[in-house]
Parts: sequence; structure tokens; C-alpha cells
Amino acid sequence: MRRLIWLSVVAAAAIAYPLLLSSPFQQRLGALVLLYAIAASAWNIVGGYAGQVSVGHVVFFGCGAYAAMGSYAKFGLSPLLGIPGGIVIAVGLAAIIGVPTLRLSGHYFSMATIAVAETMRLIVTNTDWLGAAVGLSGPTVPRNIFDLSFLSSLPYYYLFLAVLVITLLITWWMTNSRMGFYLRAIKDSERAARSLGAPASRTKLYAYMLSAALTSVAGALYAMMFGFVDPESGLGILISVKILIMAALGGAGLLFGPLVGAAILVPLEEISNSWLGGKGAGLTFVLYGAIIVLIARFQPGGLLSLLMRRRKPTTETGASHAP
Amino acid sequence: MLLEARGITKAFGSFKAVDDASVTLEQGDILGLIGPNGAGKSTFFNCLTGDLKTTSGSVLFGGRNITELTPELRAGLGLARTFQVPQTFEGMTVLENVMIGAFLRTSHRKEAETKARAVLERVGMIRLADAPARSLGTPGRKRLEIARALATEPKVLLLDEAMAGLNAHEVKLAIDLVRDIHRSGITLVIVEHIMEVIMSLASRVMVFHQGKEIARGSPREVTSNPAVIEAYLGKRAAKAAAGHTPVELMGGPGL
Repeated sequence: MRRLIWLSVVAAAAIAYPLLLSSPFQQRLGALVLLYAIAASAWNIVGGYAGQVSVGHVVFFGCGAYAAMGSYAKFGLSPLLGIPGGIVIAVGLAAIIGVPTLRLSGHYFSMATIAVAETMRLIVTNTDWLGAAVGLSGPTVPRNIFDLSFLSSLPYYYLFLAVLVITLLITWWMTNSRMGFYLRAIKDSERAARSLGAPASRTKLYAYMLSAALTSVAGALYAMMFGFVDPESGLGILISVKILIMAALGGAGLLFGPLVGAAILVPLEEISNSWLGGKGAGLTFVLYGAIIVLIARFQPGGLLSLLMRRRKPTTETGASHAP
Repeated sequence: MLLEARGITKAFGSFKAVDDASVTLEQGDILGLIGPNGAGKSTFFNCLTGDLKTTSGSVLFGGRNITELTPELRAGLGLARTFQVPQTFEGMTVLENVMIGAFLRTSHRKEAETKARAVLERVGMIRLADAPARSLGTPGRKRLEIARALATEPKVLLLDEAMAGLNAHEVKLAIDLVRDIHRSGITLVIVEHIMEVIMSLASRVMVFHQGKEIARGSPREVTSNPAVIEAYLGKRAAKAAAGHTPVELMGGPGL
């Protein structure tokens, strides 16, 4: 019940936000928060629930972004039509990357994903067909509504909100399914999970592919809003890091953790950028570094888990007398 | 024959932790695996469950060769295990821990929950169902391991030192639980240090020493076997010990 009230309040606030705070800056900020929340929620499926910390998720982001822009720049189609293509490529790539790397544990998996992402960035940077270092552009003047090229951020805001809701629904459905239970078990002890019949490799791979698909949608939406993609904005490792930090700050492995993280970090970054101009960009990453240190040191469960822990005290329940 | 191991050898580099060990398990057996620390019984155990790949030899389950199967596939066939150091899913409740086992036979959450509750009822942990598993102490965790394994509906349950770290009273309760499990028709393999447990539970015992099987038989036969006493206590002690009951010498209080 209490959960339902909270949900309604958050939903109402999300719908009303761009109407109440309606300056272009505020609307753009809102849209960006939602966009990063989508990407971070997608990452959360494999990074949070399954505990496989991918630092190369930007690869899938790039698949979506390049597919959307490529759909227009190469074939003259609506960027929207690139989304299914982006998903297919991302899922295929996830399968290719996942089979060998998901066997690796902990840091080794993270490092392998970084290597793949950087390799991909270099390949694309040197591929003329994909615009090389210049990248691909979307329609400058929209031919029709399906080009999704708007001056105002408002349409993007609601589009992103809808996609975020779908992403969260998929995540929620997953956590309540056998797959979600298996992922959490694998995260705590892969060996024990397997001894109880959980097919660890396959479950992790499915989660990775699902996460890749949703991340590629986020990438496509990103490219549509900005109207272009280049190797830095579509495949830069810092995007991976940003997504990861948002999920971890809010609460990895919690449904609304990534949204909370995005709602804190995106405004911080945008405001510091607008105050300090181009010089602010460096400062943002100093901030990210500090957040990584703080999360690692004090609150591995993220801010949301801090709130939840306060409500559900975990004390010795007299369990030691159980047998 | 339910479970059979033929000539299992497990080598780590040039060191043979298990050297040509064989065993057969009939429906309704309680097989005890004993031996001094480092004797290879846990390694042998892990070869049966698929946690370790055998260097040579084969494992058969219900006549089917399962040597190359993964632990999860063996679990699917009806081979369940517990861990010496409890591998509790810390981020879950007690009920959810057991549900992971129950999910092997159903993909429906409600069904898994119903079944997990029934198992918790059976092992006497139902009132802890919604407690976070990380709040359990060692005895609770050991019992939870057994509950999880039971939820997979095993034909054979392998217990790896399920009683280690329990006090005398808790050991008695755990023995009762194992007897109850056995009565329900599940065949058991137990690795145990506590001789009292082996003496009161096992129908057959296999003794390991330095990777090799040195004795097998009923618990009484095995504990009066000079080679076994020597393996535990050394040659001189074994001579000096003549006249004492072997159970006393091997750390059990006697029955």
C-alpha cells in the first residue's frame, strides 16, 4: 500500500515536471535525467541484479545510436526504424561478447568489457562508412513527425518517460520471475546456485542480452535527441562509467536505484557545465571519481538501500537456535 | 544401483588428491566418507557433484554416465548437495534461499514459494521464513543448506560436513533431521569429521587416507580396522591404543 502511494507520487511528479518547470533548460534537464535513467536501468539488469559489472555497456549504446542515425543517413529512413536494427545488432554482439567474458569473475569481466568497448570505438573511428571520426547526423529539418526531430525537449521528455516505464516494467517482471531469482542467487554464490540447478552461464547471458537490447534503445533515443552520433558521444568509455555510477549511487540491484542516481547526477553535471562552461566537464569527472570512492567505502548498496535499511532493521532473529 | 564412481582420480598438477577411488551407492544407503584432514574425501565428493572435473574415471547415476555433466545438470537429475562452508544467498530471505532450490522443478513463483514453505516447515525453520538469511548463525545456515537442497527434490543428497561447528545439542537435532530425510526415501552421502555422527547414521563407511581408499565396511568394522586407526593416529599411537575402543580414540564420545 505504502509502495503504491509512493509510486503514484513519483509518477505524478514525473508527468507534471516539464509543465511546472517549463524553461527549455529545465525540460532538457528532465529529458536527460530520464534518458540516463533508461540506460542505467538497462545496465542494472546485468550489473546490479546479476552482479556482473560491465564497464563496456557503451558498445550497446553505440549500436542503438549508430543504427538510428545510420537508418537516416544511409537509407533515408526514419531514425525510429533503426531501433529494431540496433536491438538486433546489440543482442548479437552481447552474445558474442558474453559467451567468453561472462565466465570471467569480478574485475576480469569488467576489464574485458572495457577492452571490447575501446576496440569497438577505434574500429568505428576508422570506418568511413560509419562517418569515421565525424560520425553520422540525423535529419536537420524534420520531414515528418517520424523523424523525431523536435526543437523543444518536451516531446523527448514524454517519449523517454514512456520508454523508462517500459524498461522498469520489464525489469520488475524479470525480478519476479525465476530468472530474476536465479540472477540474485548467482550474484551471491554462483557455485551454490549451480548446485541447486540454476544454469548460471545461460542465465547471465540472457540477462546480458536483455540489458544490451534496452541499452541500445537508450543509445538510439540519445542520438535522436542530439541529432548526431560520433565515436566519442556514442562509444566513449565515459558514457559507460556515467551509467554505472548512476546505478551504483542510486542502488544497483534495486528497481528504482538507477532513476534515483540519474536524478542526482545528471542535474549536477548539467549545472556544473552551465556554470563553469567547457571547463566544468573536467570537474564532473573529479566528482564521479569522488562518488566511486564514497560508494566503495561506505554504501555498496547505494542511496536507496540506505533508505530501505532504515525501514527494515536486520537484527539477529534468534536464528542460531533454529536446528 | 543409484550412484556409482569408477576409478576416480583427481590430480592437481602432479599431486593426486584422489587416487583411483570407486564406490557404489544403493537406493536407501547412507554412505559415510571419513578420513583425516586432506585425505581427499572432499575432493572425491566434489567429483561426484560435478564441482570438480575428474582427471580420469567415471561417475554413473542411475546407470547413466554423468562424468561430463555440469553441477546444474546433475542437480536436475536428482543429485543435491550442501557445502562445508555454507554458501548462503546473503541478499535474500530464508524463504527465497529455499525457493532457488524449488525453482528447479517449477518456473512459477507461487508454486516455488508454496513448496519452499513446505520444506521450511519440514526442517523446522518456517518461523524464520521472512528473516534475512544473513541474520542466521552457523546452525541456521547449515540447516538452510539442507532445506535448499531438499527443495530440489533430490534422489541423492550429499552432505559436506553438515554438522561441523554445531554443539552437541545441535548435532543431535541435525542427526534427527538427517534420519527423517533418509526415512523419506532419499539416499545420502555424508562427509563428516564427527565420528558420533558417522557411527549413528552411516550404513556403510569408506575411509580415505592420502587420496586412497584404505577401508570400507560397516562403521564398526571400519573403526576397528588397524589401518584406519593408524591413518588417524600414526603407527606408535595405534600400537599403544590397543585395548581402547576405536571410537574413543577417534574423537567420538562413544555410544
